[in-house]
Amino acid sequence: MHATIQKPIGEIVKHIQPGEKVFVVGCNNCAWKCYSGGDDETKMMAKRLTDKGIEVTGYTAPGPKGMSLCKLDHTRKVLMEEHADEVKKADSFLILGCGQGVHTVIDATDGGMVHPGCDTVFGGETVSDTHIEEYCSLCGDCIIEFTGGLCPMTLCAKQLLNGPCGGAENGHCEVDPDRPCGWILIYERLKKLGRLELLDPYQPPKKNSKWSRPRTLEVSPTEATFCSIGGKVTVSNQD
Amino acid sequence: MKLTTLFDKGEFVITGEVGPIKGAIHRDKSIEPSCAIEALQLHQHVHAVNVTDNQSAVMRLGSLAASVRLKANGVEPVYQLTCRDRNRLALQSDLLTAYSLGIDNVLLLTGDHIQLGDHKEAKPVFDLDSVQLIDMAKGLKRGYDISGSRIENYLDMAFGAVVNPNSDPIELQLMKMRKKIDAGAQFFQTQAVYDVKLFENFMKKAEKFNCPIQVGFVILKTPQMGKFMNKNVSGIHVPDEWIDEIGSVAKEDQRKKAAEMAGKFIKQVKSMVQGVHIMPLGWTDIVPDILEHADIKPIK
Repeated sequence: MHATIQKPIGEIVKHIQPGEKVFVVGCNNCAWKCYSGGDDETKMMAKRLTDKGIEVTGYTAPGPKGMSLCKLDHTRKVLMEEHADEVKKADSFLILGCGQGVHTVIDATDGGMVHPGCDTVFGGETVSDTHIEEYCSLCGDCIIEFTGGLCPMTLCAKQLLNGPCGGAENGHCEVDPDRPCGWILIYERLKKLGRLELLDPYQPPKKNSKWSRPRTLEVSPTEATFCSIGGKVTVSNQD
Repeated sequence: MKLTTLFDKGEFVITGEVGPIKGAIHRDKSIEPSCAIEALQLHQHVHAVNVTDNQSAVMRLGSLAASVRLKANGVEPVYQLTCRDRNRLALQSDLLTAYSLGIDNVLLLTGDHIQLGDHKEAKPVFDLDSVQLIDMAKGLKRGYDISGSRIENYLDMAFGAVVNPNSDPIELQLMKMRKKIDAGAQFFQTQAVYDVKLFENFMKKAEKFNCPIQVGFVILKTPQMGKFMNKNVSGIHVPDEWIDEIGSVAKEDQRKKAAEMAGKFIKQVKSMVQGVHIMPLGWTDIVPDILEHADIKPIK
């Protein structure tokens, strides 16, 4: 999921011009789980803006629960058909969702003016209803086969691929004594699994071209093509 | 002169360390930066002097400029190069530049994280880790850059690396040490250690690599410094006995005491290693006393 946190209301309001009419859009998937843009927060944002003297023409978090705002055809239908009148009256959209959601609204509204209502902080695991943790950096060049599924690009502050630096103390990272050393987590896990030999091979430098933005993915029921500056990679899911 | 030549001859290799100034070298050549003055003080007592690279992630004069200045003054530098501030293009280019400017020894390391320094909002690079950096440097020695393209006039420097005997679990450090040797590391300098037993245990496990190791030592100047390092410097542990002992003398006697304690420690571990790396943090003047207390013969 894409973890998001609302921007402070003062910052949101600052970017809305006098007299600008706003339509508020939430996301019923990730932002709902982050309490940053579900049904309740979207409705609440409409009220908070109104209380600040901003004219709100309407609001919606395209449902049902679990539906992502970044599903373009659905969002377009909800905004341009179900909320057509309110959308027409609006000068801009305030989006309570991730950066993908913001762009989805641009596409869905044929280039409408947008204001991001959230900061997109990371892609994470919803460990509990109130706790989200980051385990993947979306680098496009995954090496976690060698680390028991724990990503050193994410769990190591220096993104080291061949083992830890010398800065860990009592199992914690030199950057933050409250944060465990990612490499010690990897080591302890593989030791427990009896698979420490996975750490033996030299890991070559990252192919950063796979991490160059923006990237695309073409998908079909039988194969997918990942496209980055590093080139196109097509993989079948049938053979 | 490459330090590997000395190791090969069986010399007990002694190195010191200086940190470049936070500022530029004066255009008036008669004004030496403090790091060069410290290095000149060390000169007669050590084989080479490490020049740190934005140590503790604090922005300073470049280690290469300072290394070249030392070399011009007749001091053999060990140019430190970290992965924190440079991508693979810059690292290779700096290595070629260093060799072109006469540098013979380079210590290749990861570098402290940006968060520990004075530019906390800077982008940490870490395009390569230290193992990959050493592997890449080896490529330049063999005539290839990291992309496989041929280079002209290969570099020929001694490649040093670091290891931390204080790390727990030590097996992870040993795994990385082995990878560094496979990649091309020719000698090691350890993180500062103060515990003979701990170091002995480490050396028992590291001996099998058959690669020269210099024991690292940061001069403990005051009890406050010991406490500060324990609290703020990850990967170093100063035992209470050390803090109590340096605290047991009057302030004016601390230099003498520090030299005595350092010398005593180095004397106990010197037979296990092929050299010592002393980090004086400004107290360069007591290095000769330390070596005398450690019963290490003067180098010249």
